[in-house]
Amino acid sequence: MNARLEKLISDARAAWRAEQASGRIRIRVTLDTSSLARGADETLARLREAAASRRIDADVGITGSWGFCWMEPCVSVRSAAGTHAVLYGNVTPDRVDGLIEAIAAGRDLPELALGVIEGNATPEIPLLEDHPFMKGQVRRLMANLGRTDPENIDHYLAHGGYEGFGKALEMDAEAIVKEVLDSGLGGRGGGGFPTGRKWDFLRNATTSPRYLVCNADEGDPGAWVNRILMEGDPHLIIEGMLIAALASHADEGYIYIRYEYPLAFERMKKAVAQAYERGLLGRDILGTGKNFELIVFLGAGAYVCGEETGLINSIDGYRGMPRIKPPFPAQAGLWNKPTNVNNVESYANAPLILRHGAQWWSSVSDVKEKGTKMFTFSGHVKQAGCIEIPFGPKVRTLLEQYAGGLSGDLPLKGFQPGGPLSGVLPASDIDLPLTLDPYRERGMFLGSGGVVFFDQSACIVDLCLFFLGFCEDESCGRCTTCHGGTQRAVEILRRIAAGGGRDADLENFEKLIGTLVWSNCLHGQFAMTSIKTSLRTFRDEYVEHIVDKVCRAGVCKGLMPGRWARRPAPVSAGATAD
Amino acid sequence: MAAEPGLQELRELVAEFQPGRGHVLPALHKVQHTYGWVPRQAIEVIARQLNTTPALIYGAVTFYSDFRTHPPATYEVAWCCGPACRLRGGEAIREAIQEELGIGLNEQTPDHRFGLHVGQCNGTCHEAPQIWVNGRVRGNLTPESARDIIRSLRDGE
Repeated sequence: MNARLEKLISDARAAWRAEQASGRIRIRVTLDTSSLARGADETLARLREAAASRRIDADVGITGSWGFCWMEPCVSVRSAAGTHAVLYGNVTPDRVDGLIEAIAAGRDLPELALGVIEGNATPEIPLLEDHPFMKGQVRRLMANLGRTDPENIDHYLAHGGYEGFGKALEMDAEAIVKEVLDSGLGGRGGGGFPTGRKWDFLRNATTSPRYLVCNADEGDPGAWVNRILMEGDPHLIIEGMLIAALASHADEGYIYIRYEYPLAFERMKKAVAQAYERGLLGRDILGTGKNFELIVFLGAGAYVCGEETGLINSIDGYRGMPRIKPPFPAQAGLWNKPTNVNNVESYANAPLILRHGAQWWSSVSDVKEKGTKMFTFSGHVKQAGCIEIPFGPKVRTLLEQYAGGLSGDLPLKGFQPGGPLSGVLPASDIDLPLTLDPYRERGMFLGSGGVVFFDQSACIVDLCLFFLGFCEDESCGRCTTCHGGTQRAVEILRRIAAGGGRDADLENFEKLIGTLVWSNCLHGQFAMTSIKTSLRTFRDEYVEHIVDKVCRAGVCKGLMPGRWARRPAPVSAGATAD
Repeated sequence: MAAEPGLQELRELVAEFQPGRGHVLPALHKVQHTYGWVPRQAIEVIARQLNTTPALIYGAVTFYSDFRTHPPATYEVAWCCGPACRLRGGEAIREAIQEELGIGLNEQTPDHRFGLHVGQCNGTCHEAPQIWVNGRVRGNLTPESARDIIRSLRDGE
């Protein structure tokens, strides 16, 4: 391996070992957007204060998410001897004193414990790996989350970080591409297109400079897997882009982060600055003569910039309107130069493939889609969180095991696999596997990982109104089929919800479905998916709205509430879906 | 809130940005970060600095929902419109806040103390339904608790 990299790694490992052997109690608070929403910054400040005032010799620091988002703030406490560590959940600021008291007394706090993360289980606290939420998870991308400080490059280097890049430095571009192709890594943004082939397009480009873009414009509401990764282990993404740069002879890279993720933006910027300091980015990387510049770019609030050519236009400085393809980005992307765009999770897998080999990487999954995938889940569920599992389990597993089942007492009505363009499926499809094909066969797609479950208190017309309203708001305005079509669909849905549904409306939907597919980009092409898929399985409910003027969920205020409604008839103002 | 900046001040603020380097959004972000919004005259200054037309800059400002063309209110309330929030009663939260403030989405109260706009899901769906007050999540709301938040802000906490 490159001698300078070897030194960086061995120094980082020595520092990590020294930290472990310091004889101090180690307290780590998950500090990310999810935990901040539940007061983690205050928890952190109070822990520091309380430890100081009680004269506890503790090293209090931060880490990324364990995925227990609904249990934030999560705090891990490791004994001074380093033989015993416990993860706690729901450590809100008011519970800090209780935790500090237990630490001072040298005991655990079983009532807040999620599990033991180092050492043996105790009579009161089982191992974290035996927690139902952890079972079946394979944490590769998330391996460092909860354990390392995302703002410290040495922590990353001490845990195998940049080793994949070190291996790639000794390979030629073709061999790197071959390794990634052999792994079977498919694009994680929802498309599933082989990542290695994309890199090969750029490698074979005939002009320069060449650009890499990381699509971190995770706009699908209900999806936050990329945020968890950027806030928890930003160097994984940088290393992935470095490997891609070697594989495709790229000169410059951009990480395009949405405006709604300010902390991810700060963490990525800090990580990039550290990588520059260590000579891992910039000119003459680690003395190899290779150059790669990396820029962290902040979006400004436009869903359609998640479409790769919209994103390219956005960096270029134009309105983020998707371009007409061809030419494809590999031919003419940023500043009309060859460009490759991958999702955050796609890049983040590259270091693992290079470090451990394609065979190890792909062996985890026994379906066609290789490797692991991160999912988030929300809606009418008990536990909204984030997991990493191999492709293949059923959606039911996601709901029942990881999301802890439904939050209310009503039965499941359906779910949306991944984003407002992905469509909706009924409860009877709950045993579909988490792979790409079943969704494609239904004219929809699995999406980028944000699954939303809903029970019978949700109205299908209202849900589609939300999805179509979103698509209308976020249409770039280029294609009449899309901006006009989504407007028409919203008008019709609003009218139906207000009690003015007409017999011809379902037919009009079919016409719109047939029209919007002629849009230029995926936004327009898939904008009608929620209506298209729900007309198939929830048709009765549309008919009830239009003909009987009944909303069975009692959500549409212009209609009589039906069997699942929680509000009494007649319609009262201020009723909610909850 | 700062007074409207002068041309010279704006020119100095964006002097670091260069044409053809993808600097339109970074320049606009810097202006908004400094003043809280993008004043009209900044559009022309940025256009000149980046050797492009005001139309292109104005086009970008109006395309992206997070650039403001007017000064922010003291309390910018973002109402999350995401699916988890909607499923858990988000519409009723919006109605309660609108009624309490007497304004609609993308409006400000006449005294400029409150502004209300749509927020896009940031993946804190475990707190649904929620709003963000000046970027800080206030979650697990009921229409009553949402009104209480607004009232306590209005009455100076």
